Amino acid sequence: MSVATIALLGQPNSGKSTMFNALTGLHQHVGNWPGKTVEKKEGSFAYKGTTYDVADLPGSYSMSANSDEEVITRDFIASGNADVVCILADSSQLERSLFMLADYAGIDAPCFLVLNMEDVAREQGKTINAAALEKKLSIPVMLFSATDKKAYDKFYQTLERALKNKSHIDVSALEEEYEKLEGYNEIKEQLNDGVMEGYTPMWLTVKYLENDKVVSAKLKSELPADKVAVLESLKGDNNGAIATGECKFKWIDELVDGVVKGKKQSVKLGRLDRIYTHRFWGKPAVVLTVVLGLLASFIPALPIMAVASVFDILKSYLNGVLEAAGCSPFLIGLVCDVLIQSMSYVVKMLGFVFGVTLVFGLLEEVGVMARISYVFDNTMGKLGLQGKSVMPFLVSFGCTMGGAAGARVIDNWGQKVLTIALAWAVPCGAAWATIPMLSTIFFGAGAPVVIVVVLLAMILHMWITAKIFGAKLVNKEDRCGMIMELPPYHKPKWKALFRYVFGRTKDTFFRVVKVVLLVCLIFWLLSYGSGVNDTSILYKVGTAIEPVTKFVGLPWQLFIAFIAASVGKEGAIGVISALYTGGSYGEGFAQAMSGAARAANLGDILLANVSRPEALAFIFAITFNMPCVVALAATYQEIHSVKWTAKIAIYYTVVSLLFACIAYHIGLLIW
Amino acid sequence: MQKLLELLKDGNSRTLEILADELGTTTDDVTRQMEYLERIGVIRRVLQPFENKGCGTCSSCSGCSKNAAACKGCIPQNAALNMGEMWEVV
Repeated sequence: MSVATIALLGQPNSGKSTMFNALTGLHQHVGNWPGKTVEKKEGSFAYKGTTYDVADLPGSYSMSANSDEEVITRDFIASGNADVVCILADSSQLERSLFMLADYAGIDAPCFLVLNMEDVAREQGKTINAAALEKKLSIPVMLFSATDKKAYDKFYQTLERALKNKSHIDVSALEEEYEKLEGYNEIKEQLNDGVMEGYTPMWLTVKYLENDKVVSAKLKSELPADKVAVLESLKGDNNGAIATGECKFKWIDELVDGVVKGKKQSVKLGRLDRIYTHRFWGKPAVVLTVVLGLLASFIPALPIMAVASVFDILKSYLNGVLEAAGCSPFLIGLVCDVLIQSMSYVVKMLGFVFGVTLVFGLLEEVGVMARISYVFDNTMGKLGLQGKSVMPFLVSFGCTMGGAAGARVIDNWGQKVLTIALAWAVPCGAAWATIPMLSTIFFGAGAPVVIVVVLLAMILHMWITAKIFGAKLVNKEDRCGMIMELPPYHKPKWKALFRYVFGRTKDTFFRVVKVVLLVCLIFWLLSYGSGVNDTSILYKVGTAIEPVTKFVGLPWQLFIAFIAASVGKEGAIGVISALYTGGSYGEGFAQAMSGAARAANLGDILLANVSRPEALAFIFAITFNMPCVVALAATYQEIHSVKWTAKIAIYYTVVSLLFACIAYHIGLLIW
Repeated sequence: MQKLLELLKDGNSRTLEILADELGTTTDDVTRQMEYLERIGVIRRVLQPFENKGCGTCSSCSGCSKNAAACKGCIPQNAALNMGEMWEVV
């Protein structure tokens, strides 16, 4: 009984394991390759009186020395362990999967080619002429489906044929390509047959040109010093691997030409993608999508805002009950003005968190967000940034900290700093909750317009900021292109989407409740005078700075809210809640200004006390103020520079007040 | 492939389809060339912040498999899953 060894060689996903299992069944054992953590699978089967030992070589992309798997594979074959090598390729994508064969060509061991997954290729409408390919390659070639038990008879016959003929790949056409490469012939001349056992001079030359570590080292140790010097002088730049790769692909294309018939995948862009990826229309289309998305997010938000008015009713009801029960004004204020009032704000904010998360989650699910990121990706270059900066920006729409952490993918320090500096301008989740809510209170149906203006201001802000900081931080030459593989459009998975949206809303709820309640309580206490507002410290400080803050359009209460917003945007709501509606000052103020005893509706109080230009100034001020203290810390953590962290923080504070000032004065002209 | 690399170095972003169009070839061809370039280390896939290290990377985070709200710096789970893939020149 004779024994033969076959080695299975193929790229990952070529169906090699399926084939190995089908061939050897239970006769297999698994170990490790000596000294490596790479799995070694061996097995055996008998056919017509011959025992075949099967070595399942580790799945590897090619025969280069880029990984342990590839080195093991190559050594095993070259050392003559296998009587024949069975090379697997994926029939459904021959142009790609024949690369292993092309890289194998030139190794001494006999081989044959199995075009696996022929059923998949057939489903794609492709017909493959194996006989024609066999003629071109002069090794046995067979169509195969490893999952089809009946196909194995044909496999055994092909195997026997390959063993009998000791078939080798006809490399003449491939070598013709190689010969066009600079230095190829000269290097090959230096190499005799057998300089490295198991490899032809052609194969070694190609690997040498590719700068293959193992081959280069081996040749240098095997050859006399003068020959090594000649080799070194002949080797060109580092583009060797690209040039040889081109030769291999060209050879593969010629092999496949006329052998594969059927549907060839053409370059086809969907109608929507043709707009999004259009050089001119892409940007307007994307901006329109974002704006429509934001407007759409008002739809689920508004009913929730209406629900929040229940709190206002609850507040006046409880107020009455507590007063009737003879509770102290302090306790009544604490319950009604701090607790219930804050909750009313929080629920209103949540409506927008829910709306924005839902709409943008949906856009992402169906694949539109990827297109948006693609379009902005190109714009990054104009700001002096890497294309990948776009992801930190998009993440910053959720949380600036995430954006700062996301900037970690950018290796260039200057570009990383600039990316984070610009990410600060992107309104974060907390901003998306507070700003639309405040806009709705102040501007009613005009709120969407305000939001759009804020967005446009954001783009302007980022552009200016990039110009100011960019000069010091980035060189234009650092910029490289990007390739994006856009995901196909698909229907949203509603269940997963809603789980995500509710999860986000819930997380935001708990975080916001904590901040708003705490800030509101502190400021309520600070402003809680002993009945006469003028005595509270806050009032004194506030009125003292008001002449200055008035210039940028902020009454002192709003200015304090602005300061609080730099701790966290939600903080601003806490301050407003305390200073305008809670505490003795708010009460007195409200009474003095509106003449109402105690306005039940918070919106009414705000409207009565804050003019529209002031409101606009405030919205701009907190939108572009520094995102929050934690984001500041995260920024320092990423860029490790106190100087730049401070620079960015001061810059943002100044610019936000500048924006507020401009908004205020424009507002004065309008209203 | 040299042409593909030149396009990559000009600073613009392209989709696979646009690359195929500009090179006068198919997306399959572009894909296999990119696969090769990636293998030989000329280009690399950009790891997104949420990949492999979406959580537990910030110092304040103790891992959020149980409590995603614990760490604000972490990118929320299940976010940005369908954003496509990016490659850049090394």
